[in-house]
Amino acid sequence: MPKILLVEDNEMNRDMLSRRLERKGHFVIMAHDGEQGLSLANTEMPDLILMDISLPVMDGCEVTRRLKADKRTRHIPVIALTAHALVTDRVKAINAGCDDYDTKPVEFGRLTEKIHNCLVGKKAL
Amino acid sequence: MSLQNLSIRRKLILITMLTSSVALLLSSASFLIYDLISFRHLLTQDLTTQAEIIGYNSAAAMAFKDEPAATATLSALMVKGDIVAAVLYSPDGKMFAHYFRNGKTLPAFLPSPSREKGYRFKGGSLEVWHDVTLNGEHLGTLFLQSDMRQWSTRAKRYATICLVFVLISGFLAYLVSSKLQKVISGPIVHLEDTMRMVSANKNYEARAVKSYSDEIGSLIDGFNTMLSDIQHRDAALRGANDELQTRTRELEEEISHRKQAQEELLKAKYVAEEASRAKSTFLANMSHELRTPLNAIIGYSEMLEEDAQDSGTVATVQDLQKIKSAGKHLLALINDVLDLSKIEAGKMSLHLETFDVSGMIEEIVTTLQPAIEKNNNTFRVHLADQVGTMRADITKVRQILYNLLSNACKFTDHGAISIDVDQSTEEGLDWLRFRVTDTGIGISASQKKNLFQEFAQADTSIARKYGGTGLGLAITHRFVQLMKGRIGVESQPGEGSTFTVSIPAQVTLETVGHIPAEGSSDASDTIADMQTDRDTILVIDDDAAVRELMSRFLMKLGFNVLTVASGEDGLRLAKQVRPVLITLDVVMPDCDGWSILSKLKADSELSKVPVIMVTIVDNEAKGLDLGASNYLIKPVDRERLAVLIEKHRITRSKAVGGSNKSRPSHGQKRGEVEAEASERFGHAENLTSRR
Repeated sequence: MPKILLVEDNEMNRDMLSRRLERKGHFVIMAHDGEQGLSLANTEMPDLILMDISLPVMDGCEVTRRLKADKRTRHIPVIALTAHALVTDRVKAINAGCDDYDTKPVEFGRLTEKIHNCLVGKKAL
Repeated sequence: MSLQNLSIRRKLILITMLTSSVALLLSSASFLIYDLISFRHLLTQDLTTQAEIIGYNSAAAMAFKDEPAATATLSALMVKGDIVAAVLYSPDGKMFAHYFRNGKTLPAFLPSPSREKGYRFKGGSLEVWHDVTLNGEHLGTLFLQSDMRQWSTRAKRYATICLVFVLISGFLAYLVSSKLQKVISGPIVHLEDTMRMVSANKNYEARAVKSYSDEIGSLIDGFNTMLSDIQHRDAALRGANDELQTRTRELEEEISHRKQAQEELLKAKYVAEEASRAKSTFLANMSHELRTPLNAIIGYSEMLEEDAQDSGTVATVQDLQKIKSAGKHLLALINDVLDLSKIEAGKMSLHLETFDVSGMIEEIVTTLQPAIEKNNNTFRVHLADQVGTMRADITKVRQILYNLLSNACKFTDHGAISIDVDQSTEEGLDWLRFRVTDTGIGISASQKKNLFQEFAQADTSIARKYGGTGLGLAITHRFVQLMKGRIGVESQPGEGSTFTVSIPAQVTLETVGHIPAEGSSDASDTIADMQTDRDTILVIDDDAAVRELMSRFLMKLGFNVLTVASGEDGLRLAKQVRPVLITLDVVMPDCDGWSILSKLKADSELSKVPVIMVTIVDNEAKGLDLGASNYLIKPVDRERLAVLIEKHRITRSKAVGGSNKSRPSHGQKRGEVEAEASERFGHAENLTSRR
């Protein structure tokens, strides 16, 4: 069962997204801010990370940069969750090293497809 | 002082006096001369008469040679004071008798009696000869000599009188001319005085007084006219000057007013910009804040919907679907408002890239398929042959066409919808024209006016019936403007509408507003224009996300990037643009990457272009056999890709003898990057093997 780390500060979204992912057969661990996300990524070594970009304490871009700078966590695919329309967020996320992105509010079908692609190594760059 | 420089007064007096003196002198002289001549004539006659009388009286004495008688006769001349000598000469010329006054003597012989009877003036004396005859017998000659004493006395007196008269008349002439010259010189002097006064005091109100209507009078008139002209002009000048000063003052006031107004405007502008910034920030924050709960609403309703479907409670499913669709509508609304506010704040930026038009249309049609089918419409796409790629903001072009097509779907029921794309050249510019035609409800002329305005759906009832925010066309319009394109509409109510959008085939960034500050410098990299000094890489992949990611990544490395969704289009484009490198996916819907690779390598023009396979299919041997330069398995390690591309760039620049041209930053970093990359590549292999 693939292990997914969900880093999301909003409790409702975290709860909703984690439950839906679990229904799809994923094992989900959660972090509510950037710092926690970073430490969980290091200790749990998830197969994939869903990273909200606007996070308290440490933002998603910074977390991703650190993950990608670390040899041990570099290989973990990171899907950024960015606000729609703010193209700049998306650009920041990609420049930070995210492997893919999806806009919030998430369209669950599209997101699961992206997750699947990343996990099987198909679609992400 | 020479004569010419004398004052007019003196000149006039002099002229008058000279003239009168000359006239007087001439007349006096002529009178004197005439009088003296007549007087002499009279004297001559008188002496001649006396000679005749004496001759007659002394004839007997002569005849009888009676000298004493003759002398006595002659002595009678004593009473005549002017006769100085009287002599009787005998016919043989000898002096017979004589009379001399004051001891005067005459020669004894007749002094050259040139004429028998006559007279002559000699040395201030008058001499007269007279023949003495008796009964026709010549007895001798009488000679009389007068000293003309009366004549000279008379002449002297006359001369004196004349002199006195001339002097008196000269004095009188002086007096008269002195008085009379004023008639002429007076006005002239007055004129001169006036003139001097005017020029000294600059008082143009002074006037010369005209005394007579002669030439000087005219001169004074002329002078006065001139003065009044000058005065008028002076007054006019002064008036103009005053007005000028007034105007200048007014202008200064105006300028200071304007400056004040300008400052106020600047302040207002600053305040407005602040407000606009605040609005944009507010909208951005707000939309984020709105989206987070929406995210939950949509997510949970989807979850519950799935649950309800599993448990078969159809009514609940429908209600949950309503919640979900309302949430999605709200989301679309928020997105539209945010887009529009960004356009208004000038913060909507263009991300230009070169893309394949047909691929983009295909994507849109796929997305729209449910909307097309919903109202049982037929759909047709027509692309003109020459339509290839365009350089524009693909997201915005897609949204423009998506908006127009979804409108067409929304307002058409059991009808036909079509999109026609062609390319044309206008004013030296290539344009792509998209025509979206439907057979729907159409738009009336009055509705057309507000069609592209925000929140202006053609009719309020439309919102109720069809939904929508009324922002779609406004955003479409703004997007078209942003890319310097045109949008127009032809429509008949009840018959359908045709929207025509023309966008330059090569959109440029000249006047596009800049990215907001939060965009950082990375963002500006992504919008880097298709620079001519950059090499082009062609990305062939059916996945839009991969194309976008690849495109951004490769642009950051300093390339122009061209992306296509299908292998066939990739082949065509490769021939057109001659990329320096091609990345190729294997699994694509219309064809497989292997065949494209074979075709690329079979083409004499393209066989030298390195091809990097980027795919999920783990069959490196096959790829390399078919001629690929490298083989990367997804997810691709970017650094590995960067190293490979750098290698090809160096090989290529060596081949063309221009290795110095390659970017030093990449060159320097190369070793380091490669070392790290090989390590990273190991991870990628691990990842692959773990699968």
